[in-house]
Parts: sequence; structure tokens; C-alpha cells
Amino acid sequence: MRLAYSYSCLVSTLVASLLFISCSKETDDAIDPNATNSVAIEFENRVGDQKLVLGTPAYKNAAGEPFALTKLNYFISNIALRKEDGTVQQFPNQYFLIRQTDSQSQLITLKDVPSGNYSDITFTIGVDSVKSLSPVAERVGVLDITSYGDDGMYWNWNSGYIFFKIEGTSTAIPTTANANQQFGIHVGGYGGGWNGSPKTVNNLRTVTLSMPTKATVRSNIAPTVHLLVDALKVFDGPNKISLAKTNSVHMPAAATPVADNYKTMFQVDHVHNDKQ
Amino acid sequence: MAGLRYWFMKNWIDLRATIRLTGLCLLVAGCQTTAPDAQPDEPFVKPANFPEPVYALDKNRPTTAGMLLGRALFYDGILSRDGTISCAECHNQTYAFTHHQHDVSHGIDNKVGTRNSMPLQNLAWETNFFWDGGVHDLDLVPIAPIENPVEMDETSTNVIQKLRKSPKYPPLFKAAFGTDEINGPRFLQALSQFMLTLVSGNSRYDKWVRKEPGGTLTDEEQAGLTAFRAKCSGCHAGELFTDNSFRNNGLFIQGSRDEGRAHVTELAQDRYKFKVPSLRNIEKTLPYMHDGRFYSLDAVLTHYADNVQPTDNLDPILQTGGSFGQSRPGIPLTSDEKRQIIAFLKTLTDDQFLRDPRFVEP
Repeated sequence: MRLAYSYSCLVSTLVASLLFISCSKETDDAIDPNATNSVAIEFENRVGDQKLVLGTPAYKNAAGEPFALTKLNYFISNIALRKEDGTVQQFPNQYFLIRQTDSQSQLITLKDVPSGNYSDITFTIGVDSVKSLSPVAERVGVLDITSYGDDGMYWNWNSGYIFFKIEGTSTAIPTTANANQQFGIHVGGYGGGWNGSPKTVNNLRTVTLSMPTKATVRSNIAPTVHLLVDALKVFDGPNKISLAKTNSVHMPAAATPVADNYKTMFQVDHVHNDKQ
Repeated sequence: MAGLRYWFMKNWIDLRATIRLTGLCLLVAGCQTTAPDAQPDEPFVKPANFPEPVYALDKNRPTTAGMLLGRALFYDGILSRDGTISCAECHNQTYAFTHHQHDVSHGIDNKVGTRNSMPLQNLAWETNFFWDGGVHDLDLVPIAPIENPVEMDETSTNVIQKLRKSPKYPPLFKAAFGTDEINGPRFLQALSQFMLTLVSGNSRYDKWVRKEPGGTLTDEEQAGLTAFRAKCSGCHAGELFTDNSFRNNGLFIQGSRDEGRAHVTELAQDRYKFKVPSLRNIEKTLPYMHDGRFYSLDAVLTHYADNVQPTDNLDPILQTGGSFGQSRPGIPLTSDEKRQIIAFLKTLTDDQFLRDPRFVEP
């Protein structure tokens, strides 16, 4: 009995040390400058500390207003990863549309990322002015303005993408404002300024997040950066938004407080550095 | 004989399609020939007295096949939710592609908008589109009426899906773009190709400028041109008769209390400013102003002479002590000048454009 115990103890210690060795070996792995791999970024939308389920009136903002969400879509672009040595890897000309109704859209992949230990991630919420003014032939994939169906992520009357769209219902909304107590908050506005026209409201927001553990890209490690995205921050960020008062936002100037709020809704929860 | 006639009648529709398709194939084949003396396939031609176009033609130069596809789309109700409203509903060639006699446009389910539909002509020279300039690229224009709930009330996504399912369109896309793939950019570029070819530059005025046969102006019209240059060309400048700017021309604020350009820029200095429209074919594009409030050119000139209101952002030209040293807002105009200016404006009517068979519903 005693022998068996020490034996199993020995085995566990051995296994543990082997694991430890393999672990430390992994982080110590020399970075092959020629090796690349992909980095996945997962956007997990939540409302406060609850799972986000469309149509469920389970949520409440700081103003005490109960609400349900029926739509949550946003563009992510201009992603950059910063290495621990300060060098920055940019991913230009890649645009992603995160849709709550499409789980595949919530996991995006950056390809051909050079090996290295990445400590920060930066991205823009929205579509930059250069792409907002680009010829239609260059607007492919999620930038194809005819691709949104009922999601309507494009302002056709004031040419520009809708960067962020949140819609839902709240019993706090006076029926005099909207008989069905629906709210729609659409944020766009890339700053104008085409053909010498005046600069207009710019609601592009850029977020930089540090990662609790570094994303260690190696030839055999394709990290996944798992973001938590708290939709409650849309109402309860630096600006407090009451749905009773603010339930229909469809112009850039009125949307600015919302953009300043959703800038705070992203955080890196954890990073997976699993070996392939 | 009767049998043959019966066969012919029975098959006329098919035959017509075949003839049309054959014509198209010949045209396409024509494009591909490289013989040095072959005519270039360029349905867009810049009139000699016009400046260089603004539209990036190198990115989407109209071809005959592209223009024919665009024309088919332009005249097809398939672009609207219930199939009833085509672009031509509010853009009728006979009236320089405006909605004749409608102050504001009437769309799906008899719903009405808040603005007068603008003429479609010389679009390659436009720097921005609509009365408020909200759209900066001709290729992005068609999405606005398609998705507007009181115009065509359809999603552009659904339009693309309907076109893909239709037997008519894949061959037209193939002729225009080389493959039968139907996608958003191609759809928009084809519509642009048709709209770009809507060039009006053969009015009697143009012929007079270019010293071409038929280019005569009467004394009355020449006096009108002189008065026009003195009193109107500060805004309606150059051969396009617009400087493409946005200005407040002092209309009474009424009806929808439309704030115009400010709707897009959200800037206080743009309230009540609207695009300065071209005056080409102005005789045919009534009613006038962004909300179609004036039914005659005489009413327009009376507004400038007698009724300009000192509202926010009234254009400096029209203010008291403005360009004409006027003692009150507006443009000093005698009744002779008004009559002469109207006579001149009618020389901008381009019958060749208004009846051009290339632009007629196929």
C-alpha cells in the first residue's frame, strides 16, 4: 500500500516535471524569424455578467431600464499586434463584421503572423475614411454595400458604413416615442472631407488592449485571443445613456457619446497558446 | 402563308430576343476586334465645350454592353420591393430624366418623399449627388432610392439575389463583364455606365458655342445670355451651369422645413443650403427647387427678384449689399431681363438628348 502510494507519487512527480520541462521549453523556444502562423481573435458578446441571447428581456442598464437586444453588429478593422519588444505588426486592408446572429463571424483569423510574443492588440471599431471613400470595385466581402440584407450596415443617404448597430426593446421607452418600445442606435461617421467638403463628425474609435498572457506565435502555435465584449457598456460607459431618452440614434453627431462608450466594452479575457 | 405568319407571330417574342442577343453578340464581338480601323466602343463622349469629367472613367469606362445592361436595370421594376417602381418612374427621359409635374417624388405604395427628383444628365461632371450632396460617388447613388422606404423599399442584397435568379440578367452581365457573375459592384458599375452616357451637350446653345450648323441665337436670347452672365452665372457657372456648390438661395422655409446640406454635414453653417442645380434642359425639368415649389421659370425669377428671404446662411451674393449692390436681398431683375433670361434658358433644351433612342426603355 505504502509502496503503491510512493510509486504513484513518483509517477506524478515525474509527469509533472516532464510537463514543467516541456512547458518551460515551449516558452523558451527560440523564435524562428521565418516562421509564421495565424492568430485567431474571438469576440464573445455579453451583457454585463450574462450571456448575450437575442430577444431575451433579461438585462438592465445602470438607469434601471430593463431591455432586450434584437441586433448587435459591428465592424472591426486595422488590427495591429504589438510584440513585447515594441515592434508592431499591422494587418491593413482586412475588415471584419461581427454579427451576433452569426457565430462564425465572431471568430476572426489573421494569417501569416510572424513568430513572436505579442503583448497588446489594437483595432478600430468601424471602417476607416480611406475605405469609406474607395471605389465600389474595391468593396468586397463584408465591405460590399449590397451584402447586408436586413442588417443594413450602410447609410445610403449619407454615404458611409454604419460602424456599430445595436437594436432592441425596452419597456422604459415611452410608447409615445415608439409604439413598439423599440430602440435603434446606429453609429457611423468617418469624418467627411471628400472633394473639399467640410470635415464632419468622426466616430471612428481605436482600442488598445493588453493581454494578460502573451500570444506566443510559433510555427506550431497559433494563438487564440479571447475577447469579452460587454454590450452593457454601450449604455453604461463614460456616458450614461437612458433608453427612455435616447432610443433613436441615426446621425453621427448624436452617436458620438455612444462611440465613446463602446470603446470601453472590449477586454482580453485570456489567450490560448495551444500547440498544434 | 397563313401558317408562316402564324409561326412568325408565335415566335416573334423569341425571335426579337434572338435578334437583340445577336446584335449584342455582334457588338461584343465588335469590342474584341483589334483591327486598327475599328471604332472604339465608347458610348460616353465628352462634348468639345465641356471640361474634363470628374468621374474616374479609368475605373469604369462605359462600354456598349455595360450601358445596355445598365439601361435594362434602369428600366426594370425588379429593383423595387414589389416590382412596380423602376428608376425611370421618377426619371423620365422626355423631361431630362425628372419626375414630370411632381413636386416631390412618388414611390412605392404611393408614398411621397420630401424632395424633387433631380435630372439625370452629365453625371460624369458631378462632384456629389442629391440636393444635399450626401453621396460622393455616382456608383453609390442607386442604393439610396432602392433602399429608401418611400421610393423602392428593397434591400440591395435582395435585388442582387433576384437578378441572379432571373434568366434575363446573367447573359447581360456576361456581355458586360466577361462572366455571368452578378454581384454588388458590377450591378452598381453597370448602372453608372448607363447613367454616364446620359450626356446632354447638343442644345442650340452648345451648337452656338461650338459654331456648328443650327447654332444660332436670336437677339432676345443673346440679350438673355448677357443678363444671365451678369446676374446668374455666379452660381450657375461654366458649361455645366453649376459650380457644384451648396447655397441658401433664400426660399421661404416651409413644408418639411428641410435643412438641406446640414442634414448630411450636421454643421450649422450648412442649414438651408442645397445643391446649385445645372440649368441644362431647365425648360423640361419643372417644377423647380429642392421641393418643387415653383411651377414655372417665371416663378423662379420672381423669387430671385422679389422674394428672397434673409434666412440663416443666405448666400452672400444674394444678401443686401451683395454682388449687385442691392438694397434688399435678392437679384435686381427688370421684367425685360427676366423675359430675356428665360428665352436664353430655353436654348439649353437638348431635343437630341431628350429623344435619344439609346436611352429609351428597351
